[in-house]
Amino acid sequence: MNKQELIDFEEDIKDLFLDGKIRAPIHLSRGNEEPLIEIFKGIQPEDWVFSTHRSHYHALLHGIDPEWLRQEILAGRSMHIFSRKHRFLSSSIVGGCLPIALGVATAIKRKGTKRHVWCFVGDMAAETGVFHECTKYAARYNLPVSFVVEDNGLSTNSPTQLVWGRGKGNPHITRYKYKRSFPHIGAGKFVVFK
Amino acid sequence: MNYREEVIKAMAMLARDKRPIFIGQSVRYSGHAMFNTLEEAKVPMRKRIELPVFEETQLGMSTGLALEGYIPVSIYPRMDFLIIAMNQLVNHLDKIEQMSCKRFTPKVIIRTMVGSKAPLDGGPQHTQDYYKALRLMLTNIDIVKLIKAEEIITAYRKALGSERSTILIEMADLY
Repeated sequence: MNKQELIDFEEDIKDLFLDGKIRAPIHLSRGNEEPLIEIFKGIQPEDWVFSTHRSHYHALLHGIDPEWLRQEILAGRSMHIFSRKHRFLSSSIVGGCLPIALGVATAIKRKGTKRHVWCFVGDMAAETGVFHECTKYAARYNLPVSFVVEDNGLSTNSPTQLVWGRGKGNPHITRYKYKRSFPHIGAGKFVVFK
Repeated sequence: MNYREEVIKAMAMLARDKRPIFIGQSVRYSGHAMFNTLEEAKVPMRKRIELPVFEETQLGMSTGLALEGYIPVSIYPRMDFLIIAMNQLVNHLDKIEQMSCKRFTPKVIIRTMVGSKAPLDGGPQHTQDYYKALRLMLTNIDIVKLIKAEEIITAYRKALGSERSTILIEMADLY
């Protein structure tokens, strides 16, 4: 799908929404067509794609039929686009797909299959603890998963980096190292209580 | 009939099936009573994935493994730890079938435990029983509290054969 086709699709959805034909929330995309088209050149049809509440472009670029997608949106499922055929899932919870994508990638590596996993998140999701956990684990185990951060600088309408206090460093963390002498729990022997 | 021995037999039964994979902290290294049951059941190391402490991520990973055809046996040694994973449990595993119009039906077996109060009392963060709370929150996941030794193998066998996810709650005081 090319840039204009993506824009036309969202324009159609916008009009349907404004006409009161969609009785559920929608989250429209605009302005990120070119980077997404480039990214999806590297995504194979058999790959898994995990998306967010703003998923229309991802679904279309992964090969989902535009008319099928339109009907799903008309049915009120814009925030929950799922296609078994295209291995496409989404979550409307911030960062919700991250660990699920990690699990699929773990399974693929264990099986030795060739598929890859792609997980799209927003810039606020990329600041969360679960993002840190998943990206660290994926990198250290060399899992077949790529994370794409779609950074529009906003989380709903909050400026993400301003909210996080950009550039202030973190003087609140002190770390020291030590070697454990006792076992994790107890004192190394079973105790018989009398 | 001994409660702990029945748990061990249930783990051995799960391990004989090619689909289950045991996942969590202390599934390959000692650290809690559930590890000992895996050891005594002789669950092969190749069927165990040792994870860091990231309960929420663990449950999401379990869902992902299930999407690719495995049956994860996701281990939370205390119910107090399982509730850290509520987002992935309630908003995702429990809802994916509904959200996807049954296009995806991942099945996970979640194994957890109510911590013991005797002879050592683990206190408020290691002994809670959230069975009733989970029943109120979950709509698409079966929850089984294992009170009697004789029901343990049947419950795990049913979970293995079910099309739905199941939470099985063991009682440390009965070990």
